[in-house]
Amino acid sequence: MLDQLLPQLVNGLTLGVIYAMIAVGYTMVYGVIELINFAHGEIYMFGAFFCVMFISVFGVPFYLAIVLSMSCCAIMGILLDIVAYRPLRNAPRLAALITAIGMSIFLQNLAMVIWGSRPLPFVQDAVPAYLNETAFSMGEVYLTWLQVFIFAVTIAMMFGLFFIITYTKIGTAMRALAQNKTAAALMGINVNFVISFTFALGSAFGAMAGILVSVYYNTLYPTMGYMAGVKAFAAAVLGGIGSVPGAMLGGLVLGVAEALGAGYVSSLYRDGVAYAVMIAVILFKPSGLLGKSVVDKA
Amino acid sequence: MQRKLFFVFLIAALAYPLMPLSSDYVLHVMTLIMVYMVLAMGLNIVPGFCGLLDLGYVGFFGIGAYTSGLLTVHYGMSFWLIVPLAAANGAMWGVLLGAPTLRLTGDYFAIVTFGFSELVVLFLTNEIWLTRGPLGLPGIEPVSLDLSFLNPDWFWYFDGEPPYFYLAIFLVAAVYFLLKRVEDSRLGRAWFAIREDPMAAASCGVNILNYKVIAFAISAAIGAVGGSFYARWYLFLSPDMFKFWESFLVLCMVVLGGLGNLRGALFGAVIMVSMGEVLREILPALGLPPEVRFLVYGLLMVLIMRFKPAGFFPAIASSGKTNPMLVALEKRICETHGGASGSDS
Repeated sequence: MLDQLLPQLVNGLTLGVIYAMIAVGYTMVYGVIELINFAHGEIYMFGAFFCVMFISVFGVPFYLAIVLSMSCCAIMGILLDIVAYRPLRNAPRLAALITAIGMSIFLQNLAMVIWGSRPLPFVQDAVPAYLNETAFSMGEVYLTWLQVFIFAVTIAMMFGLFFIITYTKIGTAMRALAQNKTAAALMGINVNFVISFTFALGSAFGAMAGILVSVYYNTLYPTMGYMAGVKAFAAAVLGGIGSVPGAMLGGLVLGVAEALGAGYVSSLYRDGVAYAVMIAVILFKPSGLLGKSVVDKA
Repeated sequence: MQRKLFFVFLIAALAYPLMPLSSDYVLHVMTLIMVYMVLAMGLNIVPGFCGLLDLGYVGFFGIGAYTSGLLTVHYGMSFWLIVPLAAANGAMWGVLLGAPTLRLTGDYFAIVTFGFSELVVLFLTNEIWLTRGPLGLPGIEPVSLDLSFLNPDWFWYFDGEPPYFYLAIFLVAAVYFLLKRVEDSRLGRAWFAIREDPMAAASCGVNILNYKVIAFAISAAIGAVGGSFYARWYLFLSPDMFKFWESFLVLCMVVLGGLGNLRGALFGAVIMVSMGEVLREILPALGLPPEVRFLVYGLLMVLIMRFKPAGFFPAIASSGKTNPMLVALEKRICETHGGASGSDS
């Protein structure tokens, strides 16, 4: 029993950092415009597909393809905001939520039209060979270079994000907007630009997560964003929506809980862990682990 | 004029199964439309009347369908007994889910309902001892009407589409009538008040949480009734039928017709189901999988929210203007203030 613990833990942490990457996108957007961007999971999926497309169609090397795909998704995020959400900024919340759901379904099916509904393998030839080799082994536990790469990239990006939010001017503007949009606008902050920037940043993180997942599991399909989006949202809620460190922590906790739950309780309800965690947090501690207390705006 | 037209259509619909050229396919689609009409009217209560987004409506549909299917398969219960049981089961889950979550903001509520419906699907898929899981639940008895205690000959099996067609018409009419009455009652007015301004409603003595839970329970019960009919009509159930897509489809119907409008919900059901049938034929011809029809639905939702947020039967915006008393009052105000006041913005 116990010898399973460490491999499950490693597996869970790998999943967890990826959930955290997606969750920061949800949480940042929610912090700034108080909208659950349901289409974020689809951006994650498009990230994986763009990357494969760059590699297989244009023959771009792996690492460059990642960067290009992230940029494309950042632009996509900005367009999503401008086309779908900006016109409804002052509309009732119900309208914006329905639009978000509509965009999510639309983008998912758009991918299905473009790339077909069958799962594709990731272009393995393009992935540097050493990524699949074992980096460390400790008894039963193997850590491939790919996993090391995932951890390194996510940790680096999280520190980058932390730096942007805490020390740069635009990060300060984001935090100001999250506190009070009107006051921020009165201080001369270009609200729409900051919102676009937030979408771009969140979408780039989502795209990176999508690429890492599709390399890790060697598969990508148009509906992959659905499940991942839900789980990342659960992670964001768990950490306290609107809080970036909370999203990171929530992702890790959820990933580990899911891996351990699948390993020790029942693998049938693997996906149920996320829903159960989400509902439990919302019921008992809606502010999440690290969030500020939620003011009821219903 | 509109009334006359409505009755002409109604009589045409009622007479259709008796026509010599009536096709089973058309009857099937019309019955399906009516199942969705029931669902759309039921869902309409929560986002339409109370202004809360419910993304897990299909969960209650599934609960009703499986309640009906399992009670039929295991206990051979009569349909007429099952309908109230399924409704009660749906309402119970509605209260259990709604009571703790409805105090939260609308966004959280949307997510909780979504999670709930996904958990329902997971339960139906994994608890094989009860539901047979992904194999589905075949062999459900069709509806029968047993009046043999009145006359030994009065016993009918529902064979083929026409009897179900009439039963569905009855169901739609019953739900429509019920909700129409509720809409004009104290309950309905409380819901509208909550939708328009929760704070004002609360300060006028409306217990917001109670009224929301009642709305959610009624909506869930109607969904379960729809499900119990669906199980006894389709005669086969599988967890795949109750995925998120269905919730989205029903939401589309409500949004298309206009949130908070019963007739809009009926209209939405007709349009969406017919469109689904047409696209199901067209898409494979274009070499696309039939699921792609959701591309159209998604786009439709976004466009409606952008350009026609009240749907095609806007009830909310115009209700104040069609009331003759309000119109007269507005006119008087305009005259006294020199037309400067725009009372509705």
